[in-house]
Amino acid sequence: MEKFTLIGKNMKRIDTAAKATGEAIFSADLTLPRMLIGKALRSPYPHARIVAIDTSKAERLPGVKAVITAQDMCGDKWGVFRYTQDQQFLPTEKVRYMGEEVAAVAAIDEDTALQALKLIDVQYEALPSVFTIDDAIAAGAPQLHDAYPNNINVHVKIDVGDIEKGFNESYLVREDTFSAPEDAYFQGEPYAVVAQFDQAGNLEIWMPNAGPHMKAKPLSNVLKIPLNKVRVRKITIGGAFGGRSEISPADVICAFLARKAHRPVKIVYTREENTVATRQAHALVTKIKTGVDREGKVLARDITCHMDGGAYSSTGPIATSVPFLCMEQAYRMDNVRYNGYRILTNKPIRGMYRVHGRAFACGIDIQLDMIGAALGIDPLTMRLRNARQTGDYTPTKSYVASCGMTESIVKAGEKSGWKEKFGKLPPYHGIGIGCNSVQTGFPMGIRGGSQAFIKLNEDGGITVITGIVDNGQGNDNMVVQIAAEELGLTPDDVQLISADTEVTPSDPGSYAMCETFIGGNAVRLAAQDVKKKLFRIVAGEFGIGVDNLTARDRKIFVTENPEKSMSIAKAVRIALSRNESISGEGSYWPNVDPKREWVKNPYGQLSETFSFGTVIAEVKVDPETGQVEVLEVTAAQDVGFALNPQVIEGQFEGGVAMGGQGGMLSEFLQWHEGRVLNPTQFGYLVPLAIDMPKINNIIVETIDPNGPYGAKEAGMSVAMSAAQAYCGAISNAVGVYFHDYPITPDKIVKAIEEKKQKENAEVPG
Amino acid sequence: MKLPPFQYLEPSTVLEALSMLDTYRDTVQIIAGGTEVVNRLKLRLISPDYLMDIKKLPDLGGIAEHEQSIVIGANVSLNEIRDSSLLQDKYKAIAEAAFQVAAPPLANMGTIGGNILQNTRCLFYNQSEIVLKGLGVCHKRGGASCLAVKGGKRCFSVYLGDIAPALIAFDAKCVLEKSGSRRTIPIIDLFTGMGTQPLSIENNELLTGIIIPKQNGAYGSAYRKLRIRGSIDYPLASAAAFLALSADGKLAASRLVIGAAGCAPKVVARASAALSGKLPEDADFAAAADMAYELSEGVDNLALPGDYRRKMVRVLAQRALQGARADIKRGM
Amino acid sequence: MKEMKRYSLTLTVNNETHALVTPPNRTLLEVLRDDLQLTGTKEGCGEGACGYCTVLVDGQPVRSCLTLAVAMEGRKITTIEGLAQGGKLHPIQAAFVEHHAIQCGFCSPGMILTSYALLNNNPTPTEAEIRRAIAGNVCRCTGYAKIVKAVQSLAGEER
Repeated sequence: MEKFTLIGKNMKRIDTAAKATGEAIFSADLTLPRMLIGKALRSPYPHARIVAIDTSKAERLPGVKAVITAQDMCGDKWGVFRYTQDQQFLPTEKVRYMGEEVAAVAAIDEDTALQALKLIDVQYEALPSVFTIDDAIAAGAPQLHDAYPNNINVHVKIDVGDIEKGFNESYLVREDTFSAPEDAYFQGEPYAVVAQFDQAGNLEIWMPNAGPHMKAKPLSNVLKIPLNKVRVRKITIGGAFGGRSEISPADVICAFLARKAHRPVKIVYTREENTVATRQAHALVTKIKTGVDREGKVLARDITCHMDGGAYSSTGPIATSVPFLCMEQAYRMDNVRYNGYRILTNKPIRGMYRVHGRAFACGIDIQLDMIGAALGIDPLTMRLRNARQTGDYTPTKSYVASCGMTESIVKAGEKSGWKEKFGKLPPYHGIGIGCNSVQTGFPMGIRGGSQAFIKLNEDGGITVITGIVDNGQGNDNMVVQIAAEELGLTPDDVQLISADTEVTPSDPGSYAMCETFIGGNAVRLAAQDVKKKLFRIVAGEFGIGVDNLTARDRKIFVTENPEKSMSIAKAVRIALSRNESISGEGSYWPNVDPKREWVKNPYGQLSETFSFGTVIAEVKVDPETGQVEVLEVTAAQDVGFALNPQVIEGQFEGGVAMGGQGGMLSEFLQWHEGRVLNPTQFGYLVPLAIDMPKINNIIVETIDPNGPYGAKEAGMSVAMSAAQAYCGAISNAVGVYFHDYPITPDKIVKAIEEKKQKENAEVPG
Repeated sequence: MKLPPFQYLEPSTVLEALSMLDTYRDTVQIIAGGTEVVNRLKLRLISPDYLMDIKKLPDLGGIAEHEQSIVIGANVSLNEIRDSSLLQDKYKAIAEAAFQVAAPPLANMGTIGGNILQNTRCLFYNQSEIVLKGLGVCHKRGGASCLAVKGGKRCFSVYLGDIAPALIAFDAKCVLEKSGSRRTIPIIDLFTGMGTQPLSIENNELLTGIIIPKQNGAYGSAYRKLRIRGSIDYPLASAAAFLALSADGKLAASRLVIGAAGCAPKVVARASAALSGKLPEDADFAAAADMAYELSEGVDNLALPGDYRRKMVRVLAQRALQGARADIKRGM
Repeated sequence: MKEMKRYSLTLTVNNETHALVTPPNRTLLEVLRDDLQLTGTKEGCGEGACGYCTVLVDGQPVRSCLTLAVAMEGRKITTIEGLAQGGKLHPIQAAFVEHHAIQCGFCSPGMILTSYALLNNNPTPTEAEIRRAIAGNVCRCTGYAKIVKAVQSLAGEER
């Protein structure tokens, strides 16, 4: 008999039929009786003092039911961390970026709401602004917040080993600087919120979110109502990619409008608003100094990274750390120093992004290529010589319980034909490799663990109750798959109640790739709890020990004698008749070091386990236009264990599109005085079907000792290393190492021209 | 984004449409496929009192072959142009241009007339309030500044139509009708060269058809477009070429047209003169492409820098000429 | 605000006719979602760049966000709600589910309708033809590989 019936199999997702028919409801699709339309008034200044706001004309406009300003809130400042509480949902004193909310209206229809916005009179006193990292940290620069002198929002300092000694012992040392402007999420679904209050003062609210509990707590705080009155409801979510985890001003504004108008309110963001007023990804400038021995093994690294964080902290301490942490996980580096600075500018707020920090990861990797070239070592070998191994500790003291870094490098190399291709391709053809590693969660305070309940019905079916949220990646299916597997049921026997703060227990949210590892483990434990109780009943009836039973095909049978069985339905009925509780409970708390803190103590177990991925890309460059044709991409990742292989492939393929094709070829925000000039899909170039190369997927399984069935996370290591592989491949094709990303055609043409000029200059005579 | 208010006019004949245009003049906007006009309305780049829908007008459809010319109705969709075997076979640049307009669903909506008469674009112009509020008013919006070029005394918005350069390469004409009269002018004359008012069509005129003079003998054409992605995007640079050979294999006529290189598509007249009487060879094409480069204009107001886009005009000009040469061979 | 005449309009959507009265400044997308509650059609950008609002007009994919509702009199409109018959998924929908061509699902209605129209016009498309046909529909999740596979699985089959 096979070990599993559902786990490890290509199971059709439970949620996609509803998405294929248009039946799935997203936030903007909701309509409630007497519902109003809400709109936010946004700052036309990147930095200005708010002198006065007069809403009286707007309030008098027929059809307007509520107008709110900072006056309606208590001036509370919110932050992800206690030490980063710096954002008011409607600011009282000043606006810090173009597009920041200053007031909002709710009216009977959109036209009236938009007209009302025009009637709100805000007097501003413009303040000098800063738009770049350099300008923001220059002496005498305008300051955004009193709490952050010199506009330095976060400084993460990590110092491990003895880098001076490492550099002194190095055979070769080189230093390079890498940079990239902001990228953006461009989730399919523009942000939308619907909120309503009942007579008892309970809030019901729907919005795309990456963790309903992460939304509920700040709503409770700012509305001054207890948590049990905040009901963040489950809704279909059109993508998150690291965003949508934090509270958004739109959530708070919508709730305040609904409370003030005593009617439901819906806010739907335009695409422009989604780009400007939710979150963006950080721009980075990274200086990397690396010393290696003759064999290319890294002996010392000194990294300084400056990130443009925009106007507020958001997840700043995490964002400032993660690019470094991913690379310290991927590669061994015994002596390393990292100084990460998050700098505030008068630009929209930046958060965590699925491909966070391309100018960091690509820098680390392409510099390995440069060093390898100087030493006569090919890029793939450079990575093998520095790859993380099982049983290692990372520099910041995380134990690595399972690691398929080497295996992913080797397998990707074989599949892509690396040996036959590297250095042997025709002119302007190139091949490149990237490696990365991602956490499966990190210390998240009291919300670091997940709990799940399972209720049984008298016909043997179950309802799983979990806080896990599905942003589109398939988490709902993962929950059903695990519960059905454990209890020997079919997916149809399982109902799911999830991501609803009224009902579902605490969960970290779909954040930092932790849902399968943490939430999945909790669901599995809940199912095992149920199973234990059912087995006790059946064992009693059969007069045998509980260890001799197996659950499969809706039955519980004697393992050694499958003929002898009892249906789960019957076991449930026996339990009911005996007044015996058979509901299940499970909770999982990952083994992380609770004392680890991003800034104060960045050492200790960060995450219980890590994924490791390698991408190899092969490209052809048109030397005249600089256009890149990607011929083939091979993506390999240690996912621990593939619970649902096609879901994992989908994550790999989507990751290659976002990280490689988009992140390295076409995606970047264009700016003018703090304004985004390409806030829609016409200007922000998300890859299209016609652009995507053939992708080879290689699932590497290391069976993590503590992951559910050995699983870790699916695909983020691929998304990140895809950017690095594209960078390496283009550099290899052109014969120039690129330092500024994305590598758009103009940069390639310029590099080729400069190379030719240099070569001509070097020709004697 | 919401549409502004307007009255909707739906004439049932061309005559009625012309009469409406004559009555409403500056207060009416014509709409056909809607792919550009609806966007301009949403962004409040225009707020006409009347929107006149000509999509259902009879007599504006069809691709007809006449003795001396090919006549294309203004409402023929870009996908019809793309799929026309006549155009693919004999007027390849035009079919190639249609093949590369936007993406198939958009080209299914968009018409040839609308594509030709599209307005110029600029990163600082085709934007909503969330981007532009608080900035100065640019030339194209009726102000006196240029947001793309500091101190710019004029508008540098760019004409990004794909079809017009290809038609101009064939010296095509268009029919402009108004109440009581009609005129036929070369398509190149539709363009003023001014970013603020890029089109010369009068406010009571309707573009009803395109006339492509029939070509004989050995000739070929090609259209080349550069964009970052393989679909949806407007050109960053483009070029159309037409080449005709005399019996001795030398160039009897050649026309090179560049797009996305200024406020209007431009005929590289110097190239026509320089290529005349020459064999169609790469070295001469390169010289012609240099002339295209000289004529091109590019400032930093689209997705990639202006200096890069100008260089690409040269590359695409060369490639369009080579493509046209290959098309001659195909036809022989 | 300018006073606008309201238009009586008969819309044929998924073989049902709907009599509506509407001002002219409304897009087909707004009427489908707000008046007919056909919320399967999504708005992603409102300017024709994403393809999420794709519906079929007389069998051809169009952007409903760029289409005036008043211009749709007499046209046959198909939305995603019109594909499944009698509660049974249309083969193209079933193929998207089977091949994991759907993740977040926001682009799926437009993507499925575009694929459906392609297969009606060209029952045996090549991979290149599929990629070109759906090139106007942005998907942020899948990298398109499984979408292409789903369409390929039906290429050449009786539908």
